[in-house]
Amino acid sequence: MHKEHAEKDWSPYKDKAFKRTVYLLLFLLVMILLSILVSLGSGHLTLTLPDIIRTVRGQGTDAHRLLLYQFRLPRTLLALLVGAAMASAGAVFQGVTENGLADPGIIGIHSGSGFFVVLFLYLTSLNEGSVPVWADRGLPFIAFLGGLTAAGLIYLLAWKKGVTPVRLVLVGIGINSGFAAALMLVQLRMSESDFNRAITWLSGSIWNASWTTVLRLLPWFLIFFPLALYKAKVLSIMQLGEEMAVGLGSSIQKERLILLVLGVALAASSVAAAGGIAFVGLVAPHLARRLVGGKFQRLLPISACIGALLIILSDSIARSVLAPSEIPVGLIVAVIGAPYFIYLLITIKE
Amino acid sequence: MKKMMIGAMTLSLTLAACAAETDEQENGMLTEEETVETEEGPRVMTDGAGNEVEIPEDPEAIIASYLEDYLVALDVMPAAQWSIGDGEGVQFYLQDELADVPTIPYDLPYESVLEYEPDLIIIRDEVEQDMLEQYQLIAPTYVMNASPTDWRETLLELGEILDKEDEANEVIESYDVRAEETADVVAERADGETAAAIWMIDTTLFVVHPERSSGAVLYQDAGFELPSVLNDLSDEADWASISLEELAEMDVDHLFLISDDEEPALTEDRLWQNIPAVENENVYTFDSQSAWLYYGPIANEQVLGFIEESLEAAD
Amino acid sequence: MEQIRKKELTKKETQKRLLKRLSAPHPTALILFSSLAVLIIVMIVSLSIGAASVTWETIADSFLSFDETNTSHLILRDLRVPRVLAAALVGAFLAVSGVIMQALTLNPLASPSIMGVTSGSAFMLALAFAFYPQSNYYQLIMWSFSGAALGAGMVFLIGSFSKRGLTPVKLALAGAAVSALLQSLSTIIAIHFNVARDITFWYAGGVAGVRMETVRIAGIIAVVVLAAAFMLSRSLTIMGLGEEMARGLGVKIGRLKVISTLIVLLLTGAAVSIAGTVGFIGLVIPHISKKVMGLDYRWVLPSSAVFGALLLVIADIAARTINIPYETPVGALTALIGVPFFLFLARKEGRG
Repeated sequence: MHKEHAEKDWSPYKDKAFKRTVYLLLFLLVMILLSILVSLGSGHLTLTLPDIIRTVRGQGTDAHRLLLYQFRLPRTLLALLVGAAMASAGAVFQGVTENGLADPGIIGIHSGSGFFVVLFLYLTSLNEGSVPVWADRGLPFIAFLGGLTAAGLIYLLAWKKGVTPVRLVLVGIGINSGFAAALMLVQLRMSESDFNRAITWLSGSIWNASWTTVLRLLPWFLIFFPLALYKAKVLSIMQLGEEMAVGLGSSIQKERLILLVLGVALAASSVAAAGGIAFVGLVAPHLARRLVGGKFQRLLPISACIGALLIILSDSIARSVLAPSEIPVGLIVAVIGAPYFIYLLITIKE
Repeated sequence: MKKMMIGAMTLSLTLAACAAETDEQENGMLTEEETVETEEGPRVMTDGAGNEVEIPEDPEAIIASYLEDYLVALDVMPAAQWSIGDGEGVQFYLQDELADVPTIPYDLPYESVLEYEPDLIIIRDEVEQDMLEQYQLIAPTYVMNASPTDWRETLLELGEILDKEDEANEVIESYDVRAEETADVVAERADGETAAAIWMIDTTLFVVHPERSSGAVLYQDAGFELPSVLNDLSDEADWASISLEELAEMDVDHLFLISDDEEPALTEDRLWQNIPAVENENVYTFDSQSAWLYYGPIANEQVLGFIEESLEAAD
Repeated sequence: MEQIRKKELTKKETQKRLLKRLSAPHPTALILFSSLAVLIIVMIVSLSIGAASVTWETIADSFLSFDETNTSHLILRDLRVPRVLAAALVGAFLAVSGVIMQALTLNPLASPSIMGVTSGSAFMLALAFAFYPQSNYYQLIMWSFSGAALGAGMVFLIGSFSKRGLTPVKLALAGAAVSALLQSLSTIIAIHFNVARDITFWYAGGVAGVRMETVRIAGIIAVVVLAAAFMLSRSLTIMGLGEEMARGLGVKIGRLKVISTLIVLLLTGAAVSIAGTVGFIGLVIPHISKKVMGLDYRWVLPSSAVFGALLLVIADIAARTINIPYETPVGALTALIGVPFFLFLARKEGRG
């Protein structure tokens, strides 16, 4: 974690650690493949590995085909996308705030998005009796707006001749409780079934994933993750401190703003798809930093992989351990992630 | 207090007998006509989500969660029945008929639906578009047009889907005959008096909506008057939360209390004992497994029986 | 021997002189008693608000010539009086435990909801609902109390392991993490054991439906525990000068910490078992009373109790009237007041 590499060398390709990163990436991809298999095999109905193989080869029963291709696969892919998006969002936030404890869930991005989405659902269902289809499809945008509003508020309130990392996180916690309270006020005006749906959704749940949900999130990830990778260099420079960064010619406040928008887009679109799953954005980048050091060109892809792995496995746990009750995956992640956060808190040097 | 308890006990005994009786009547009536029309091809109906749904000719495995009452009334056995809490909570008042039917969680997870390999899925309430699309992959999925709060409309629509329109009409006719009997009893013993059904969970109180569930039975079919407090109840729930304060102010002559506590803590309260129905010992207690909380011809008919028995036992 | 006694005496002297210097220039007694008067007036106003309309005469009658067969009198005596008393007591409990926490930890962000104490209570109550659904109110208080200890214990443990102790920011973060963990576990329990309906109430918070028996127990706690808290006020004032100084002036730090912690846990546990998690009162009120009353805790503690009571009684009136006939969770309302305040403090604190 504290190994700093020769700072002159900005190209990751010449670096010795590049090889290490590639190997690690390959290893993680294999792990993800394995976890996908585990995930495809876990659920209410039994689907064994031979069943999966038979179905893939086109010899399975109709029920197995349906189960595998329409129910399990979208769910697993959604877990993968959500994990990767939230982890990379977390990495971006940690980079921008220069704070190892910044997680989009903890600093209120999730509850901002969640508040906007629930408010939007409530308002549209008022007019039309039920949530119209167009509204359902537009959810990522609404979530994005909510996330941006939260981020904007945090930035604005934390601004006092610049923004210090500590103040940013502290303000974020406040914003988080503010949105949570506002959310509660809206929820209580909803009908009981809408209320229950909102609760399950907000705790972070992907059990009713379909190809539609996957396809709704996919473009956001495909656009904003590469953009984040493209900006990774800037993030790395930022870590050197304000003076160095300014010296290198990038306008630091402007870059910060751009990166913040990127992070919000990644976090909010996955909130729209799977609700508020906190702590992935915290744990994954940290583990990644331990493995490949602090350069974001390497850290970003690795933490995306770890995030995907984390959510896929947590979702398998959510489906099997306390079956048949479906525990929202966000709760499982929180039970794993919160102790890790506490551990970081204990060991971190201020 | 003791008197009330004994009253309630004898009540529940007679009620059980009564419920069994009505079931027999109904089954007898319905089994007469069980013709399956085989000549017609698959029918297409437009459902509540605006989709054209192809109804299979003779559906064998139907999942119609929370519509089981109607299915039983039409003498159709569902493939799985509504449940909450991992199958612990079911519609107990239907268990004479549904005892052998496996349970499915109320929120209809895809895999649980797939497990029963249904050939027709009927959804009672509105459903998210995403979820509907997934159900359609399993089997033809029909979203009800009828408002779930109108049991007659619901029954007629289900009759149409299942090609049992005549049976549906007969169920309604015989219900109306039965309701008139009860209305006569009410007119005779409690003419112009008010009533309310209160559901008590610990110390939280809920009152039935005047036009829904057992509320429709109480006020529209049995002919009880509506207490004035309930006139301006704006809640859109089947059972609206009501404060003890409002209950205490309610000018209610007969109180149907649904509670699972042997001796609800609230009944010891001074405020409770000031309610007219309590003062006149016109409180009738039922457990939450009885038909009061549900919808459908069978539930309603059982409630009619409860009302009659209660009034007769009160004298 | 003589010398030691003399030393003790001079310590007492210094204490006294210090206390004198610390007391605020404001007419503290006047403020305290006038706010007490306002509290009583607001409580009486609160009695007149509810689903059933009640005239002022009826209110007066229900106290002066109580009639057991009069429904309005019963509504007042059995429903509204316990409710407003509960609001006042819970507000006072949370405010006082916030004051003590801030004084002990010398941390302006310390308060029951931020330090995970309230979510600890709610977690244990969730367990109680899942496994012992028949628990009576005394047992629920005990569960809640042990949960408060659990939440606080976890945060303090993190503090003691932490390399440089719990700085204000770390404390807020640790509290957030512990709360997130406990809330997730509570929700899992709620879903798995199907007790969500019971538990949602504790998270929303509110004093509707509080009965007289509950208020009586809370009243006993108020008399005993608040009295104990007030007895600590002198030592707490001196603690405000820093631990070293306090030790030098003869304050038994260890004993003070143990007793204060017990008081905090009892007060918070009782408050949560009555009203669920009502946040931010324990954060906001101590700051306000210190601003108004100065640094002398002999004034700060009682005034916090009164201010806290006042805030929650007013919030409860709002909860009843904002969205008639529904109850708005009072916890959400206090959060709406508390969050801007927290943000203000965060701006001040996060200088580093």
